[in-house]
Amino acid sequence: MENHKNHHNDDQHETHHIASYKEHFSTLAALLLLTFVTVVVSVFGANLATLSVATALLIATIKVIVVAYYFMHLKYEKKIYSWLILLVVVLFVAFTVITAIEYLNR
Amino acid sequence: MATATANINFFQARKGLFSWIFSVDHKRIGLLYLYSLMTFFLVGVTLGLLMRYELLNPGKDLVEAQTYNQIFTLHGVIMIFLFIIPSIPAVFGNFFLPIMLGTDDVSFPRLNLLSWWIYIIGAIMALSTLVFGDGPADTGWTFYAPYSVNTTTNVSMSVLAAFVLGFSSILTGLNFIVTIHRLRTPGMTFLKMPLFAWSLYATSWIQLLATPIIGITLLMIVAERALGVGLFDPSIGGDPILYQHLFWIYSHPAVYIMALPAFGVISELLPTFSQRTIFGYKAIAFSSLAIAFVGYFIWGHHMFTSGMSGTARIIFSILTFFVAIPTAIKVFNWVATLYKGSINVQPPLLYALAFIFQFMIGGFTGLILGALATDIHLHDTYFVVGHFHYVMFGGTGFAFFGALHYWYPKIWGRMYNVKVANIAFTIFFIGFNMLYFPMLIAGLMGMPRRYYDYLPEFHLPNMISTYGSWVLAVGLLLMLGNLIAGFYKGKRGVGRNPWGGITLEWQTLSPPPVQNFDRMPEIPKNGPYDYENKPIIKE
Repeated sequence: MENHKNHHNDDQHETHHIASYKEHFSTLAALLLLTFVTVVVSVFGANLATLSVATALLIATIKVIVVAYYFMHLKYEKKIYSWLILLVVVLFVAFTVITAIEYLNR
Repeated sequence: MATATANINFFQARKGLFSWIFSVDHKRIGLLYLYSLMTFFLVGVTLGLLMRYELLNPGKDLVEAQTYNQIFTLHGVIMIFLFIIPSIPAVFGNFFLPIMLGTDDVSFPRLNLLSWWIYIIGAIMALSTLVFGDGPADTGWTFYAPYSVNTTTNVSMSVLAAFVLGFSSILTGLNFIVTIHRLRTPGMTFLKMPLFAWSLYATSWIQLLATPIIGITLLMIVAERALGVGLFDPSIGGDPILYQHLFWIYSHPAVYIMALPAFGVISELLPTFSQRTIFGYKAIAFSSLAIAFVGYFIWGHHMFTSGMSGTARIIFSILTFFVAIPTAIKVFNWVATLYKGSINVQPPLLYALAFIFQFMIGGFTGLILGALATDIHLHDTYFVVGHFHYVMFGGTGFAFFGALHYWYPKIWGRMYNVKVANIAFTIFFIGFNMLYFPMLIAGLMGMPRRYYDYLPEFHLPNMISTYGSWVLAVGLLLMLGNLIAGFYKGKRGVGRNPWGGITLEWQTLSPPPVQNFDRMPEIPKNGPYDYENKPIIKE
């Protein structure tokens, strides 16, 4: 039996992608900047009250997307994998919204 | 490929304990899971028998009330987290998924071994509560807050064990998803995959996405117990209903982690033993995904009496009925598969037929509990216990043993005594229904669950139930004894394909060689159940 790394099927991409240094460093810079923004918001934006949490979550979500897209090479993958990740986000939002609706209607 | 060394089977490849417990071969890991699971299953069965003995008569028969509470909790934790959640995926998924896909292992073999080790560590943690701390938890396997925050029993270790076990489940799910996406043999498109693989795919997504929620929830209990953070206990500002939400957001989909692989097994057994194409392949495949998806949105039906909002209760009740649709699609297709088939009555088929019968009782009683009005009456009665065991044991448990009888000759290259297997099945089936059907009656009469004692009017159903547990135990011991005897003395030379199946595992040797195939498997052109153009398998 040949090694499974030689298998090919519809979903498999054996092409290796080498991202440029520029892309790597730009991604890193973006993540550091977003981390900096998170800290700034939490320290100096305390009067935003509940919006502070929403802002932190929003920034974290953007960071997740950047990491998945560039560092984890989602940009080179078939669209189906992006859809699968979107599905995960939809589920998370659904759990939160349904629980919040229940709480607010109690 | 066709060399003599290529045909060394996975048992012969290496010897010794370390060659097993550090093996990265998916087949060995599957068997490691089988042996560990069966050990814990027997512990869980023993605890169950003790509970039933205690309930033989009203009043004290065997143990004190507090001990009884701890026994039913440990029974639940062991059976849910150590047996039924990992059961079919960890044993038969690990062993057969790569073979059914025509590849030589899962995508991440080392991660696969790690998941077994994590499972063992979690199991030791769960069982350690028997000897360390103030005894095993007495909360029930659901660990409902605020009681789980306040009780002095060893809840922290129990929930940490469940937390650790969750990682094992996540890693297995991740491994299967990547394997199915990346390692299918050339020519095997998604719609040419066996339905067992489809069911594992749907299950794996639940394992991957839902398990972290229970993980964080259980850690929140530990945080509350250890640090006094007010999360669930209202006396320190927490919300107990929030706990139930978080718990059931995982634990309802977890019901499908337990049930979907069983559906996959049944979808394999029926075509083989009726020698005809499965009816409605696509409908069965996609209904697995539909069940996985819809299953995420109906957790609230466990909470109808919790005090949550009336609006949410109505919405969850309506949504619950939606999950009956894809489930019924499967059952109708299974029955249609049998219609006009060349039915060959063998032990695995008997388990599959018992599955359909019992799972239907479990399913229909589930509809009664899913309906808001009737659930208010039946919540926390023995009706729920009966329903749950009909689904989990009568369904998944029977599918597990059906799978064990089905793939037994492939795994060990020997055959058990079919006559004894049939007798054992009959006793097991009678015992099961004697044990659990009276629970439905007792529940309808109003007997509450999780009570050590009961009123005299509930004596008859409890007595029948306890006698049934003894019959079931006899059937189980006979079945396991027969399988173990087959391992040592069973007929050798069962060939590649003793049942006449056409999924890829039947094209390879029994037991399979280390690399799974001694020659390239032939992918049937018209899908995995094309019995009209059955590939000719030479020995």
